[in-house]
Amino acid sequence: MSLLRLDSATIKFGGLVAVNSVSFELDKGDLFGLIGPNGAGKTTCFNLITGVYKPTSGVITFRGKSIGGTPSSKIAAHGIARTFQNIRLFRALSVLENVVVGGYLRHRTGLFSALAYLPSSINETNRLRAEAMELLKVVNLAHVADVRSADLSYGMQRRLEIARAMATQPELLLLDEPAAGMNPLEKEELLVMVKKIRDEHGMTVLLIEHDMRFVMNLCERIVVLDHGEEIAQGPPSAIRNDPKVIAAYLGEAV
Amino acid sequence: MNFWLIRVLSILGAIAGCAGLQVVAGGQSDYIQRLLILAGLYVTLSVSLNLINGITGQFSIGHAAFYQVGAYMAGFCSVHYFKSSHLPPLVWLVVTMVVAAIAAAGAGFVVGLPSLRLRGDYLAIVTLGFGEIIRIQVQNTPALGGSYGMNIEPKVQSIALVWLLAVLCVAVCRNLLKTASGLPFLAVREDEVASSAMGVNVTRAKVTAFVLGSAFAGSAGALLASYEGFITPATFGMDVSFIILTMVVLGGTGSITGSIFAAVFLTLLPEYLRGLKDASGGPLTLTGGTVVAWMIGVIFAVAVLRHVYEDAKRSRLNRLCFGIGGVVVGLIVQAIASVMMNKIGALHDKIIMIGQLRMAIFAVTLIVLMLLRPQGVFAHHEFSWDWVGRLIGRRRRATV
Repeated sequence: MSLLRLDSATIKFGGLVAVNSVSFELDKGDLFGLIGPNGAGKTTCFNLITGVYKPTSGVITFRGKSIGGTPSSKIAAHGIARTFQNIRLFRALSVLENVVVGGYLRHRTGLFSALAYLPSSINETNRLRAEAMELLKVVNLAHVADVRSADLSYGMQRRLEIARAMATQPELLLLDEPAAGMNPLEKEELLVMVKKIRDEHGMTVLLIEHDMRFVMNLCERIVVLDHGEEIAQGPPSAIRNDPKVIAAYLGEAV
Repeated sequence: MNFWLIRVLSILGAIAGCAGLQVVAGGQSDYIQRLLILAGLYVTLSVSLNLINGITGQFSIGHAAFYQVGAYMAGFCSVHYFKSSHLPPLVWLVVTMVVAAIAAAGAGFVVGLPSLRLRGDYLAIVTLGFGEIIRIQVQNTPALGGSYGMNIEPKVQSIALVWLLAVLCVAVCRNLLKTASGLPFLAVREDEVASSAMGVNVTRAKVTAFVLGSAFAGSAGALLASYEGFITPATFGMDVSFIILTMVVLGGTGSITGSIFAAVFLTLLPEYLRGLKDASGGPLTLTGGTVVAWMIGVIFAVAVLRHVYEDAKRSRLNRLCFGIGGVVVGLIVQAIASVMMNKIGALHDKIIMIGQLRMAIFAVTLIVLMLLRPQGVFAHHEFSWDWVGRLIGRRRRATV
């Protein structure tokens, strides 16, 4: 059974069809790429999967359960976490605190024990902080754990978003343009990191990216969207030579 | 068991401290006692509003409504049930505090619900409207005394309880921020979309903040009702809401210690100004010319002092120079201007008592602070004794 399945998912904003009948399937352990020119509906697709928008029609199933229209926070609890294209960190909080928020899903003590500062709550907090610290080591941010997240460099902020998403311990990780704004060296490190996340942490990864070299090197399967429609699907080698994809990116031959 | 020993000792310490305060204040004049009570109530109010406004980021400007709900709930219960309860007045007061907290928490829940769909200014308008609805509703309810107000028996004055409530409110907020349970609230303030993508239940965080914050305000209302022995809707006007909001903003939104500091400062400042005396013991007076000169002096001082925080990269010495420079410039300008202004007959002959100017000075203080430090005195930070440690540490290193 596939992990995530979009079955002719569609969303319309008034007269605009942002995502039109898109279907694809992810299996557990996939490294899946979602590409397309600007405005193709890639991020909207992410928003459909994570419950920011409710699909106008079509079915989205995760582990066999329909999740279309479920509130975001519930979807995160089901095991889908994401990063954002325009970085959305909790800017006034420290790097470590950002990651702890991600781990808060697994927080089990009640509000009262926190208000009374009972040992159960303190232990829980310490456990979450220790877990968060481990994740910061994965993304090489342990040395800046106490820095305000807004003060980090751009590349670091992107890595922190990944760590925060990983802290929810998702089965499926959605990365929205993780390499945007990174220099070639950082991109190289990111490539290794994403592979590690899949191989060592066992998370399935679906990512949006504009950097073709990055996508082609990393992803095993790719879906191409253009104007909200799915125009191609397959392994990188096939996508690279697909005439429709070339037309979408470069324009058609006259 | 070390943890529980410390816990029990700190709770006993807080109780002893508050009881001690009451004993010490018992020898003072009624006026001083009143100030202590008002300061304690405002600490509770501003710290509890800070939970809604500063920590959870829900811009609420109707906090006096919860204060009022608590006061009237406690008053109503006292009028109808105190005699038949046969409880000692102090115990009864504690009971009404709990009842008032529950009633206000209910009101907080009702106001919290629109906050799920409204943000920023829009939520502010709704909370403002809610405050007015409560006030006007009470004004038109004969059972609650209408606009004539309500007499409350028993009248109990307990500085210890007022400050215990303040300590409890501060402790609860501080505990929340110390544990991971506080992070969802902060996360909602920072970014709602990202919070819910991380699995934070945004609805729950907002409503919880409103319920908790208003419960404390309600308890404070019960204390006010039994202290005054008489409440009218006018006691809980919009100006009270705004004063509480001012305290939160002035202290630095999100900072608990900032709210405490601002609550005490803003309660005492007007009273201090009212009581200023000149050398012969009469009320301190100024000529109109001097007042105008002070205005000009303050403007010049602010113009220079603004540079202290303008650029974070400035060195400490540089800031110190601007700081001292600003004060010196202000004083010199004031001195020159006062000579010039007092030459004008009309200004020279106009005698103003500084007590009359207290609200104006209050306002000017706020404007100046907001110009110089818009993020609030403590900004997002908490006051800590770390700097003392650093100072001592440095000195030690220097002597070695």
